[in-house]
Amino acid sequence: MVNPASAAYVMWYRQVKRFTRARSRLVGSIVQPIFWIVLLGLGFTSALKGTPVFGGIDYLTFFTPGVIMMAVFFTAFFSGISIIWDREFGFLKEILVAPASRTATLLGRILGDVTIAMLQGVIVLVIAFFMVPSLSLTGVPWVLVAAFFTALQFTGLGITLASKLRSLEGFQLVNMLIAMPIFLLSGAFYPVNALPGPAASAVYLNPLVYGVDLSRTALTGMGFLPLPSALVFLLVSSLFLLAMAVWSFKRTTAE
Amino acid sequence: MKPLEDIVIVEGLTKTFGSLRAVDEVSFTVKKGEIFGFLGPNGAGKTTTINLLTTLMKPTSGRGLVAGFDIQREPQKVRKRIGVLFQDITLDRELTGWENLWIHGLIYGIPRSVLKRRISELLAFVELEDWARSQVKKYSGGMQRRLQIAAALLHRPEVLFLDEPTLGLDPQTRAHVWDYILELQRNEKVTVFLTTHYMDEAERLCHRTAIIDHGKIIALGSPEELKRALGSDVVYVQLAPESLQETGRIAESLKNCKEFSRVQVVRPGEISVSAVRAAEAIPKIFEEAEGLAVRVREVAYHTPTLEDVFLHLTGRKLRDEEVGGIEAIRIRHRWWR
Repeated sequence: MVNPASAAYVMWYRQVKRFTRARSRLVGSIVQPIFWIVLLGLGFTSALKGTPVFGGIDYLTFFTPGVIMMAVFFTAFFSGISIIWDREFGFLKEILVAPASRTATLLGRILGDVTIAMLQGVIVLVIAFFMVPSLSLTGVPWVLVAAFFTALQFTGLGITLASKLRSLEGFQLVNMLIAMPIFLLSGAFYPVNALPGPAASAVYLNPLVYGVDLSRTALTGMGFLPLPSALVFLLVSSLFLLAMAVWSFKRTTAE
Repeated sequence: MKPLEDIVIVEGLTKTFGSLRAVDEVSFTVKKGEIFGFLGPNGAGKTTTINLLTTLMKPTSGRGLVAGFDIQREPQKVRKRIGVLFQDITLDRELTGWENLWIHGLIYGIPRSVLKRRISELLAFVELEDWARSQVKKYSGGMQRRLQIAAALLHRPEVLFLDEPTLGLDPQTRAHVWDYILELQRNEKVTVFLTTHYMDEAERLCHRTAIIDHGKIIALGSPEELKRALGSDVVYVQLAPESLQETGRIAESLKNCKEFSRVQVVRPGEISVSAVRAAEAIPKIFEEAEGLAVRVREVAYHTPTLEDVFLHLTGRKLRDEEVGGIEAIRIRHRWWR
């Protein structure tokens, strides 16, 4: 059997190489967050001027850490789901028939997707510092930690869901029923801990909440969870979703 | 090693999907260095057999040894020794030809320095050197096929599995791919297991062919042996009356003539007749037709092909299974009218 580390490396290489080829993805990843920050963030900032709702910081400062995590979330989630395309268009068979560990190739693939998602996050982070100079530079390492675990979680979730999808049509449904609620309830747009009653506790089930909160704490000091508990949540949820991804991938490819 | 060692041994291999027996108690052996073919219509169980032998699926029952290893108990050892060309394109279309081969080679554990040399050799073999740095999505169908062949050969497999290697290719590219396969077998001494539903492909390439239908092997031998079993010439008779009843009537009367080794209704209005010599059989057919007051519209004859063998064994044509959805509806409609 082929050395698992080199099998994982190959898949990492493939994912990253693919990303560098897709220029439109790279352009989209730069343009989209600018749109969010400018078209939504600036609008709300001036509309809410003088209203003390976000702990004294303006809306743009509140919103921008969330935009960074949103970029990471979307890239990771859809890269994970894109394993369907490999299955539909045959590349996956090439891997399954090779004498390499399936866990190793899958983990390599996941790390590739995590690399891409973090890259996206870093691009948005740089843009964010230009547009919102009030963000704290010392928070950057924590943002990277949040980006890493957020990417890990959602690549894992994407792969797990992909193994349940039998058709490309199901993809639209996943986008609407899973990606949108995660994204809207992530705390990026408004403080989710301010939601009424049971909704506020349900928010804790959303894995994106922790990354958003951690990066907001790091960049603005305004998160609602203490940093260590956000970290623990991220770690546990990452390990769980990673295990789910490996388990479901092995199950669907067993026969 | 003995030169005629069996490199693939299959005993009672079965795969069921629910109540469907996709592969049904199949047994055969493939000799080292030969080109062995599975010929059959779409849905006969050819791809399932390849999936079983290449360890992508587990058999329901039965046993298979490939390159000396059990497909169920030692799949990793089997995988290391086989190359597979799947029916669909398994390349990454966003990457270049070279990158595809590089990934393939690394995942088989080929050391980098060896891999670089091997990639150049194989790109030269499939004549794609000039395209090495282009993305695969810019390749034509034939070029993608050739790149896939190169990928399947990178790790010097002992057995090469080709699932419908020329499906959907134009005639010129098909001939080209055939040349590669023959050259491979001659120069590299690779054993080739291929599936096809083109009888000319099986005749041209295979040393031995198994004819498979509904998951079962119904005949096995060299193309010559299979054809010899039919008698020497096959005569096709087109009748003016197109009703099944009329066609059946004349077929019955032809069956009574000792000159014909086999008489079969192909479809209403068409009969096939096997005879030692077509030149003697044709006047006899006219004589019989006249006796029954049936007009013969057209007579054609040829030496038998594997298509005729398949027709003889199953009563169907290989290609009939290819009828698409709309065509099938049209045929049904015609029957109802």
